[in-house]
Amino acid sequence: MNIQFKKGVLEICVLVLATSGDRYGYELAVKISEKFEVAVGSVYPLLNRLTQEGYFSTYLKESPEGPPRKYYQLTPEGWRHMRALLAQWTDFTRAVNEIIEEGLKP
Amino acid sequence: MMTKYQYMSELTHLLKNVPEPIRKEWLYDYDMHFQLAAQNGQSEAEAALELGDPRTVAAELLLSYRVGQAETRNDFGGLSRAVFATVGMGLFNVIFVIGPYLGLAAVLLALWVSAGALAIAGIATVIESVWIGTFSYMQALSLGLICCSLSILSVLGLRVLTKLFFTATLKYLKFNTRIVRGKSQ
Repeated sequence: MNIQFKKGVLEICVLVLATSGDRYGYELAVKISEKFEVAVGSVYPLLNRLTQEGYFSTYLKESPEGPPRKYYQLTPEGWRHMRALLAQWTDFTRAVNEIIEEGLKP
Repeated sequence: MMTKYQYMSELTHLLKNVPEPIRKEWLYDYDMHFQLAAQNGQSEAEAALELGDPRTVAAELLLSYRVGQAETRNDFGGLSRAVFATVGMGLFNVIFVIGPYLGLAAVLLALWVSAGALAIAGIATVIESVWIGTFSYMQALSLGLICCSLSILSVLGLRVLTKLFFTATLKYLKFNTRIVRGKSQ
């Protein structure tokens, strides 16, 4: 996929994935890389930034296998941010799709 | 081909300037990634490849850290480090980020120096007139007052301008932080 498309989209994906329950970093990284090609290593800096900006809070939780995992939980501010981004994204894609459909009409 | 050990030591080396608690927290994520990837049957080399170049990872980690620091510290050293971290990402042509930044910083510095010079000129006029008698007392006093008030006005204006420069630079850098690079880059 075009690199330009991935800019910013990753942020929406991470935030939306965290709405259905707290996630740990690896889970998010794998979920996203299954769908489209990203450098998985970029997901962690993004998570750090979103935490730093107050959109995520983190906690460590023991896991049955291996060391404790760091979970990311959406804060109320994170929810607001996610909804705002999603609204922008929906408007944007709708507009692009309309242009494409009209453009491809015979 | 990289082993976990090679990947982690390169990342550690690249982040050596970051305070230890923060670096440890960052590295924990990558250490975990290797462990969980191994549990899922991935080899170390595969996991390393998937994570991407440690230099890119380090640059991305550093960028948001530097920007965050510049925001809290509010000094030129912090701001400059944030600007250089952005350039370190290799996302931008050096000329497009460093050039305008240095240019604007130099203009600001020049203006501050001018404001200082005006104040010195004002005081010097009064002192010189008292000492050597270039101007009469009244002339010297009014000239001195004019210079000093101009200086004070400039300082007030410059404080706003400098603050603007800080916020604008940080906003621009933060905007760039949102850019996450793809695998093929």
